Amino acid sequence: MSVSAWIMFLIGAIGLWGGLAYFLWHHIKSEKRLKQENQS
Amino acid sequence: MEQRDRWASKAGFILAAIGSAIGLGNIWRYPYVVYENGGGAFLIPYFIALLTAGIPILLMEYVIGHKYKASAPVGFRKIHRGAEWIGWWQVIVAFFVVTYYMAILGWALSYTYYSFGTKWGENTEAFFFNHYLSLSEDFWGFGSIQWKVLIPFLIVWAVTYWIMQRGVSRGIEVANKILMPILIGMLLIMTIRGVTLPGAAQGLNVLLTPDFAALADPKVWVQAYGHVFFSLSIAFAIMLTYSSYLPEKTDLTNSGLIAGLANSGFEFMAAIGVFATLGFLAAAQGIAVDEVATAGVGLAFVVYPQVINAFPFWNSLFGVLFFGSLLFSGFTSAISILEPVVAGVREKFNLSRKSAVNWVCGFAFLVGLVYTTSGGLRYLDVVDHFTNQYGIVLGGVFEVILIAWVAKKLDEFREHANGISYVRLGSWWDICLRWITPVLLSGMLLMTLLDEFSQPYEGYPHSGLIAFGWCVLGIIMVGALYFTKFRQERGNA
Repeated sequence: MSVSAWIMFLIGAIGLWGGLAYFLWHHIKSEKRLKQENQS
Repeated sequence: MEQRDRWASKAGFILAAIGSAIGLGNIWRYPYVVYENGGGAFLIPYFIALLTAGIPILLMEYVIGHKYKASAPVGFRKIHRGAEWIGWWQVIVAFFVVTYYMAILGWALSYTYYSFGTKWGENTEAFFFNHYLSLSEDFWGFGSIQWKVLIPFLIVWAVTYWIMQRGVSRGIEVANKILMPILIGMLLIMTIRGVTLPGAAQGLNVLLTPDFAALADPKVWVQAYGHVFFSLSIAFAIMLTYSSYLPEKTDLTNSGLIAGLANSGFEFMAAIGVFATLGFLAAAQGIAVDEVATAGVGLAFVVYPQVINAFPFWNSLFGVLFFGSLLFSGFTSAISILEPVVAGVREKFNLSRKSAVNWVCGFAFLVGLVYTTSGGLRYLDVVDHFTNQYGIVLGGVFEVILIAWVAKKLDEFREHANGISYVRLGSWWDICLRWITPVLLSGMLLMTLLDEFSQPYEGYPHSGLIAFGWCVLGIIMVGALYFTKFRQERGNA
């Protein structure tokens, strides 16, 4: 694969998969916090 | 009146929303759109379209559903007294979409079965068009119903009917919780296998090498906005209906961002898997990747069987993975397309869920029978073109103009979302919905109309385009007005 193709792959992967991972992580964190609030 | 359905968990809602957005187009349309519109450079307009149109509309629909807790027609009526017809427009568009969507799922089911022992043989084109579909010579050659197409069509309808009868939490949510992890697992296996095949790098080069000069072409930008718009299941009442089943305390913005990015992440991975295998096929046949690159029905049912034939080993397994992915991704979308129709009919006529499902599924099944005839592929193609390019786009234009300009609800909706969400919506959201989205959608519509009048779609006869295209749009319009009027005279919704 050419260098430019690799760069575009990385842009897509970081933007889309990285973005998804970030918001999923945030979702899990807030769900945990909500659970703790309900318990206390 | 039965109690309103609810999701059993937030994860269930997110999975169902992702399942709805991920559909056939992610696998058979997106890779070709990227390849045709600048390769890797297409990611730039794609990201911009996602952030300025796709996700803003998605979030707007989440807010409408969550705030008004109603089906699309009732939701739009609550926004503005005279806007119920917009909800019905979207619901009837969804109805027509599901009629042909189920036929394609039937084909995918057949091909999952044909994958065992690669029953399509060497001439995959002749197998699909002549042996399987028995495609007629001319447009008006209806022919008879093809049992090879009818039986899988019946099976997918039976399973769908059963899931819809079970309701939102026990049916749709459970189905998505089972199917979505399997679908993602299958795509992962397929992609990993694809990129390890000889010739894969060539295919990926063709897909991802950027042609930045293409970005100067306005059509590339229209393609990016068009693809994002069709890919996210927006403007035909799905997300609005799904979010109406959410509990009061829900982080709407985060859920929308997860659904939007999961859909885009999935299609990005599908593009890598598809072009890696196309690179392998081109290398095996000693031709350029451009010669095997295609989209839609041709990619799935003609080229992909060739890819599977060329596999060094485990051909059948790869076939099952590919057509199983098509089947599952389409299936989770199909149940989501049915839900707004069921919800709309149920609220309008004060029916039980069972009765509404019986009416909607029964009627959609009968209409869908036309796609199981020898001429079915062409009728499906025309209905798909008109419902997507005009029905869905117009539904989006009406919706955005109503909320941003007529009812002026953007501030109120933003406050609603920000009141319950961690990620806050700023003024960028208003700008996208007030200016960018209506202008771009209207531009898209105008360009499609100009193309339509310059040459008949796919060279089909005018009589066929009128009967299956313009008439379907007419039915959507008349149906929307009729159902709205029905309430004023006799309805009790």
